[in-house]
Amino acid sequence: MTAARVRAWLLRAWVALVFGFLLLPVVVVVLASLSRTSYLTVPPRGVTFRWYAVVLRDPEYVNAIGFSLALAGVATLCSLVAGVAASYALIRWRVSGGALVSALLNAPLIFPGVVVGVALLQFYALVRFNGTFAGLALAHMVITVPYVVRAVMASLQGIDPEIESAARVLGASGPVAFFAVTLPLARPGIAAGALFSFIVSFDNVPVSIFLLGAGQMTLPVKIFTAIEYGVDPSIAAISTMLIVATGLGLAAAERWIGFHRFV
Amino acid sequence: MTRGRGWGLLAPSLLLLLVAFLVPVGMMVPTSFRPYVPLVGITRGFTAGHYVKLVTDLYYLEIIGRTLALGFTVTLLTLVIGYPVAFFLARSRSRWRSWLTILVVFPLLLNLVVRTFGWIALLAQNGLVNQALRALGLVDAPVKLLFNFAGLLIGMTHIFLPFMVLVLIGAIQNIPRDVEDASRVLGASWGATFVRVTLPLSAPGILSGSILVFVLAISALVTPRLLGGPTYRVMSTLIYDEFLQRLNWPAGSAQALLLTVMVLALILISGILARRVGARV
Repeated sequence: MTAARVRAWLLRAWVALVFGFLLLPVVVVVLASLSRTSYLTVPPRGVTFRWYAVVLRDPEYVNAIGFSLALAGVATLCSLVAGVAASYALIRWRVSGGALVSALLNAPLIFPGVVVGVALLQFYALVRFNGTFAGLALAHMVITVPYVVRAVMASLQGIDPEIESAARVLGASGPVAFFAVTLPLARPGIAAGALFSFIVSFDNVPVSIFLLGAGQMTLPVKIFTAIEYGVDPSIAAISTMLIVATGLGLAAAERWIGFHRFV
Repeated sequence: MTRGRGWGLLAPSLLLLLVAFLVPVGMMVPTSFRPYVPLVGITRGFTAGHYVKLVTDLYYLEIIGRTLALGFTVTLLTLVIGYPVAFFLARSRSRWRSWLTILVVFPLLLNLVVRTFGWIALLAQNGLVNQALRALGLVDAPVKLLFNFAGLLIGMTHIFLPFMVLVLIGAIQNIPRDVEDASRVLGASWGATFVRVTLPLSAPGILSGSILVFVLAISALVTPRLLGGPTYRVMSTLIYDEFLQRLNWPAGSAQALLLTVMVLALILISGILARRVGARV
């Protein structure tokens, strides 16, 4: 029994070390944002919140946040409509070639983002669609729809089709049965898909960076170019805001829908 | 129910993929065979020169080799580091389990640029890692950990570890504990049970996780760009420069298509392997 206990403690120690490794860069960013120095240093020298004020007063950052939120919102809403419809078709109608269709729908998940980005850069330039918000949103949808489809399909699979049939027998029309019965039951999957979609769109760099037109800037691309220009604590401050927002969103999603089931 | 309605519901997604994914990627094929003249641009004609250069020029071969070596090492490291963690999370009966799983998901959902930025602060000349190494008396001069293989390896292992752990958790959860108990009851040691029962039964997860991490690692742009700088290139940062800095779209298209073929080939090979070990990729 002692050997087993030693193993159990060794395993726990390893797990603790790995969690430390996973969270190390996050902690470092938060600490770096507090430094009084104008250069990046960890541990921070002194404590100040002035870098947060610097970021929030910078119109470039504020505009980028607004633009990213709008883009992620539009891409997510459109992805939800397209993705829920596709998942429902794949689960309930067993379309011929369904396996091929879902493989195709999932393809952008493992397809190199940079290739999607440069392909669309060239294509949009050719059809004079470059620099448009709609073009950017469509590009984001290519990578967000698969996340919606995956989460919603997981949810729909757990719903007995007989429930919807019962609604039909009781006189509900097809759409009513779908919107009043199936859709509410699939809510956790739809919420998880929406969250994934929003985060994936909000965070995207490899596709956005090739498609942003003059006057357009997303937050991650703004941070990306700021880092290439030179690092300072203001980048740590905006990063910390993203860390806090992501943490709160994830904790809320776990409490409400048991988010870990959809990962 | 009619079959037509099923296709009607699929139409928006399929149309999106066709217009904003398949056609644009397909259109890179003709571009990749067009000649490019510096200061003039893309000209008429046909050339396979961009591909020939990719597979003969040592500059490009080094970048391709580096990309693959990085992908392979990152995959191996995430597997070795992640397996025990996945084993713990899959088997733990703690009520904290789902929150610990969420802690693995958190870095995954956190902005990639932010995570990479954390590694810049850690790996820089006067970063935390070098401070720690000097405080411990392990080194006298700062170790170079940015703009080289070591930096990219550390950063990318961190970025892709959660993917590996999450895939492995699923695979290990699918192994019935009875099988391991039976092995122990029949006299096998813990080590023998792990090597001959648990590990082979989790092979499908090991394969899917490894393919996923490898494919994502060789396609990664943000982390290699920020930790490797403009000079230490991998394939995706090469494509980035070709399109945005050098404006040589034909060469960039050839590089992008080569990366695509590599990814597709890997998925195809893994599909064949998966049928042997019964994995789902």
